[in-house]
Amino acid sequence: MRIKEVLLSSLVILGSGPVLAQSGGVINVATIGEPPTLDPMVSTADLVGIVTQHFFETLFTFDKDWKVTPLLAASMPEVTDGGKVYTIKLRDGIKFHDGSDMTSEDVVASLKRWMEQGSRGKQVAGNVDKLEAVDPSTVRLTLKTPYAPLLALLAFNNSAAVIMPAEKMDVPMKDPVGTGPYKLKERKPDQYIQLVRNEAYKPLEGAGNGYGGARKPILDEIRFVPVPDPNTRVEGAISGQFDYVDSLPVEAYDRIKNLQTSKPVILKPFGWPVFVMNTKQGVMANVDARMAVRLSLSMEDMLAAAFGNPEFYSLDGAMYPKGYVWNSDAGVEGRYNVADPDKAKALLKKANYSGGPLRILTSRQYEFHYKMAQVAAEYLKQAGFAVDLQVVDWATLTQRRGDPALWDIYITHSPFLPEPALIGQLSESSPGWWSSPERKKAVDAFNTESDPQKRPALWAQVQKVIYDETPSVKIGDFNALSAQSPKLEGVVPAPWPYFWNVSVKK
Amino acid sequence: MSRYVIQRFLGMLAVMFVVVTIVFIIVRIAPGDPAAVMLGPDATAQDVASLRARLGLDQPLIVQYGIFFGQLLQGDLGESIFLNRPVLSALADRAEPTFFLTLFSIFIAGLIAIPVGILSAYWRGSLFDQVSTTLAMLAASVPSFWLGLLLIQFFAVRLGIFPVSGYGGPGASLATRLSHLVLPALSLGIVSSALILRFTRASMLDVLNDDYVRTARSKGMGEFRVVMKHAFKNALIPVLTVIGLTAALLVSGAVVTETVFGLPGVGNLVVSAVLRRDYPVIQGALLIVAALYVLINFLIDMLYLLVDPRVRY
Repeated sequence: MRIKEVLLSSLVILGSGPVLAQSGGVINVATIGEPPTLDPMVSTADLVGIVTQHFFETLFTFDKDWKVTPLLAASMPEVTDGGKVYTIKLRDGIKFHDGSDMTSEDVVASLKRWMEQGSRGKQVAGNVDKLEAVDPSTVRLTLKTPYAPLLALLAFNNSAAVIMPAEKMDVPMKDPVGTGPYKLKERKPDQYIQLVRNEAYKPLEGAGNGYGGARKPILDEIRFVPVPDPNTRVEGAISGQFDYVDSLPVEAYDRIKNLQTSKPVILKPFGWPVFVMNTKQGVMANVDARMAVRLSLSMEDMLAAAFGNPEFYSLDGAMYPKGYVWNSDAGVEGRYNVADPDKAKALLKKANYSGGPLRILTSRQYEFHYKMAQVAAEYLKQAGFAVDLQVVDWATLTQRRGDPALWDIYITHSPFLPEPALIGQLSESSPGWWSSPERKKAVDAFNTESDPQKRPALWAQVQKVIYDETPSVKIGDFNALSAQSPKLEGVVPAPWPYFWNVSVKK
Repeated sequence: MSRYVIQRFLGMLAVMFVVVTIVFIIVRIAPGDPAAVMLGPDATAQDVASLRARLGLDQPLIVQYGIFFGQLLQGDLGESIFLNRPVLSALADRAEPTFFLTLFSIFIAGLIAIPVGILSAYWRGSLFDQVSTTLAMLAASVPSFWLGLLLIQFFAVRLGIFPVSGYGGPGASLATRLSHLVLPALSLGIVSSALILRFTRASMLDVLNDDYVRTARSKGMGEFRVVMKHAFKNALIPVLTVIGLTAALLVSGAVVTETVFGLPGVGNLVVSAVLRRDYPVIQGALLIVAALYVLINFLIDMLYLLVDPRVRY
């Protein structure tokens, strides 16, 4: 039966368009849970991006060096009028999964929906003067003022500007129809999401390049299976039940490193844990008190407690690690991993700290957040803070952090985002509500500079202001652990793992 | 007798009304917000507020309650915020794994507990009795998730004879789906057997000393018949009650086991709904579970009527 299925699918492929020599195979991917929605525009959850990027596509995406590269666009846009007008040519012959052709009308309708529904789209919307279809294969976006993060926002798979047919603009989304290398066949919540190869898909020429380049749908099927319990995911990797297992606890590394059924996939570095301060009201509204938090903490101890194995973390005060164009040490010296309670006490005295509770919101949904919070609490107590550690579930945390009266610090983490402007805490409306003349000057200068050569220096200035004013404290860099079957070929460690260009060894 | 049945039925309706109201209030006063969860970690407060308005969560609680209760009277449990489908249909989809899991678990629990309980009582104070009651205490103390992980390690990872988690892929046959239930059912069955065993033993000890058992023996009846026909039949009422309540508990209490084994059952749906604050699903699932509890209690009461005529008066 199995051989027959493989033969049949091979025949179908041979008879229809691009010949994929090694095509075939079904893989099961264990994910951390069920995505809250399949509408990638409305959600910033990583899991939504991981699944939907296989059937929805954006105009642009990121290559392996995190540079923006065309995907549904035919080329990089023509930028005129001092960075205010973006003319985007679309690729010819792109078809949606329902068989209809993608035109500029679909792109305009999709981008409008994104600007109305997507939190990242709304970031752009305020600055958009006009969005129009110039001809069936050209779109023009006119900005009020130059806005450098535009292309990164159009390329990002998180709150993504995906292109859908103009007649499928329902909110909430009813029918996920995209252009991607895979199509959604069936979703059984909490059981599986079944994607099948889009036979009509035409990949870009050449090889894959990060999220860019050719996206070849080699596998017949990809099944995303929610396995919410991390220990069960580990056992699933060890038993070989899953071909790819996402997001494993780092403690599992020793158990999976020498297996025949699975091998570890380490994404190095993956992201950064961060303590976000409530700069609007309460104890952390005072910049000296915030600096006292920064200087009291031992990042080394916090990372060791959170991740254990030094293979999985590194001490790094820079907002972006080495290897990124945004890496800089501006502002870091003498302000990272200091663990100096005396300096912190002096600053607290200067801040007229009255001994009121320092409310730290954290969650055990991410165990490493909680472990870091426990270590931080001890260092903060040594510095003289009256720490009130509030451990809640993640949904409660995301609600409470919206109310400035309820907390002083909350703990979160983020992957290293391809464009610094995408970092949530830089926005004045993001919980933390960091707002100051220095922030505005530095962030505005960074956001309006469209020359890629000049932007790293401007980002260094933003980083310096972050260290000066401490709206948040970056704890360090950490790596992510996943596992894959040795039979899978072509898996590239990525923050949002993808399975085009992946094949099963026969 | 019919008066007793009507009384019990009306009592059941009153309990359901109280449950409906308490569930609605508890779900709403718990912190957390479905809009914030749906929009993800980087959503702004304005986005969250506008989604809350679209979902009707910005309405006063009493208005939301009125809408909810009105829908309920028409048999409508509302629509899931995250699944974009009626709660009843989402629950119906999850019924199969939970139903079979409960059935298998109760079967395994009964298979272990009833014979061992009877023999423990019969050989009271013997080595068998001491070992079995100690093991029952151990089984009652073991968290089902931990036992589940041990079973996974042994049967799924080491021996490779059962799957680690899930409920089969697209097009999986019933046999494949049921094979995914063996380990979770074993885990729940072992844990649940402890209570049933202790009840069976205690109940048997009560009746084994009764006059009619002595009379049966004095008539020269064989020990097997004395124990099974005379003693066990009369010891059955409390055992039936505890089996019924364990079944009701499993429908709602298999939450942890379903999560550990990644089973798409009612328990898993409830956990996801609680974590996402999917109010209609939480309400709907709790109501169904409460209704099952009330119904099982009602049926047990009716069963008493059949088994013990004194209850009628």
